[in-house]
Amino acid sequence: MSEATRESVQQSNGKVETSHHPQTDPKRNDKHYYGIPPIKHAHWTWQIPVYFWIGGIGAGTQLFSTVAQLLGHEDAALKRASRYTVLVTMILSPILLIWDLGRPERFYNMMRILKLRSPMSTQSWSLLTFGNLGGLLAARQAAEDGLLGRNALSRLLLRLIPERLLSVLALPFGLFVGFNTGNLISATSVPLWARNWALMAPTFLASGTSTALSWLSLVLHLTRSGEAKTLRALHRAEKATIVIEAGLIAVSLVRMSRWGKPLFSKSVAPLFVGGALVAGIVAPFALLFSGRETRGKNILSSLLVLAGGLAFRFSLIKAGRISADDPEAYFTFASGESAPQPEDKV
Amino acid sequence: MATGFLTDTTVCIGCKACEVACKQWNQLPADGYELTGDSYDNTGHLSGTTWRHVAFIENPKKRRLTGDVDLVALAEDVTEPLPGGAELDALGRWAFMSDVCKHCVEAPCQQACPTGSIIRNEFDNVYIQPDVCNGCGYCVPACPYGVITQVPHDGRAFKCTLCYDRQIDGLEPACAKACPTNSIQFGDVEDLKVVAEERVRELHDKGYTQAYVWGTPEVGGTGGINGNHSKFVLMDEPEAYNLPKHPYLPQEKVKGGVIAGAVAAGVLGAVVALAFRD
Ligand code: SF4
Ligand code: SF4
Repeated sequence: MSEATRESVQQSNGKVETSHHPQTDPKRNDKHYYGIPPIKHAHWTWQIPVYFWIGGIGAGTQLFSTVAQLLGHEDAALKRASRYTVLVTMILSPILLIWDLGRPERFYNMMRILKLRSPMSTQSWSLLTFGNLGGLLAARQAAEDGLLGRNALSRLLLRLIPERLLSVLALPFGLFVGFNTGNLISATSVPLWARNWALMAPTFLASGTSTALSWLSLVLHLTRSGEAKTLRALHRAEKATIVIEAGLIAVSLVRMSRWGKPLFSKSVAPLFVGGALVAGIVAPFALLFSGRETRGKNILSSLLVLAGGLAFRFSLIKAGRISADDPEAYFTFASGESAPQPEDKV
Repeated sequence: MATGFLTDTTVCIGCKACEVACKQWNQLPADGYELTGDSYDNTGHLSGTTWRHVAFIENPKKRRLTGDVDLVALAEDVTEPLPGGAELDALGRWAFMSDVCKHCVEAPCQQACPTGSIIRNEFDNVYIQPDVCNGCGYCVPACPYGVITQVPHDGRAFKCTLCYDRQIDGLEPACAKACPTNSIQFGDVEDLKVVAEERVRELHDKGYTQAYVWGTPEVGGTGGINGNHSKFVLMDEPEAYNLPKHPYLPQEKVKGGVIAGAVAAGVLGAVVALAFRD
């Protein structure tokens, strides 16, 4: 220390005022480090949102067909459409997920451990279970439909696969696949996702169910199959889930508050507002609740809901990336007062 | 025994010896000659190929020096009023901080990892087993400090191992060994905690009352993370070093999320069942 400094230190009772001191530095309002993101965004591009969409359709389809079956409503066309839908979604989902891996050849490492706190782990396991049960049910359906030929194998499949039991067993795993995609994104440090942890899973399931109902109604309308009662139930359920989904998205936006801004940013707003909200909810709502039901209207609203569901998932993933890359969003989120707590009220 | 780092930013001179030593010892590829234009920091942030990163916090005051300025005194302590009658309210900030994986006590990355690739090793450090990782990338957005990334062309995720290999051989990590000012100290976390507290007390006694330890359950290692095994002595708000003040353990919300999802499943099931009623 120089003489002058020592003197001033003694004068000010051992205190040295430095420019490090936030209070004495009026120009210091930069609450970031050159704007470099303090956290890293997820690498997810298109495979993950498409998987979210497809998995949601599989889950919702299982829900509708199993409930129909449990209520004693046996509609062969519905059953056929559902079983094959679940099969296809459960073949595509793992392909998309494995595609997304940095080391796809090691995908089976997901199966070396089960971690209940890791949505990625529980997701893999529920997908495996749901996929296999769905596969068995689809195999039975194929035997029933004569796709495997009229041979001993078909008879064996028909005899050995307990249809009701497997459908009921598959249901919880399917539903888990449907809602856990929400937890998958909310159990991260990304403000926009983490902030909405309580409603992410319900929103994803509601949206998945509405896309699945639309898918089923689309298939039945296009093939001109399905009993009248099935279609009536489908349309009623469609209307109700659209309303539930809209409500959940609205509450989610309130919950996300300022951290939800990226959803309305220039690059995401067309997808979120135009795709998910207008095309996916408002337009089909108007179609379904206005006037007489016609086949054309139903097909159109189904297509809109399906497109809207896909847009919703893409917009959430894209907005999450913007949210993670924004230092201001993360630092306000991780500042102590406003960030989500497990005991938080929604 | 749990080992960890204490990085005392108050003595860091920004020489980047730790960055170089880490790259060399761990044979990490170069990040390319990218000039950020931000101070002398051309690395920018931690990543799968940068496990130590020296931040250059620079905020010069654009004031003129007038009068007979004692530059030596200025460099040693910036005081008010300035020696030699100079008119300058401050020298501006010029601070360095060698950032590293925080080796969280409850590590979000470890809880997120679906393959069990991320473990706690015998030194209680958070360690990615490269032979298990399948590059799902889920640990990346889970880390509240932006430490991990997937390495392009390799696909797997990497981060500081706390020189697991050197520790097994009884050596300290390469960065701590290379640090010429002892800004990076390695040791038992309990010992380092005492060292950190002593250092902060010493700084307070000298008048630097803004000094504090970051990486405790109170600041830096908050929200269920329960503190960090890599602690830092800081002189400024955490955000200035690109660190969060109050991060959260993301997995704390998983249970609630699953319950919410199950409730929603029940409600939607009931809605579908009602739709079948005549
Ligand atoms: S700082 Fe990030 S990478 Fe390091 S242990 Fe904590 S969560 Fe994992
Ligand atoms: S990228 Fe590797 S280390 Fe990270 S969560 Fe996936 S499997 Fe685990």
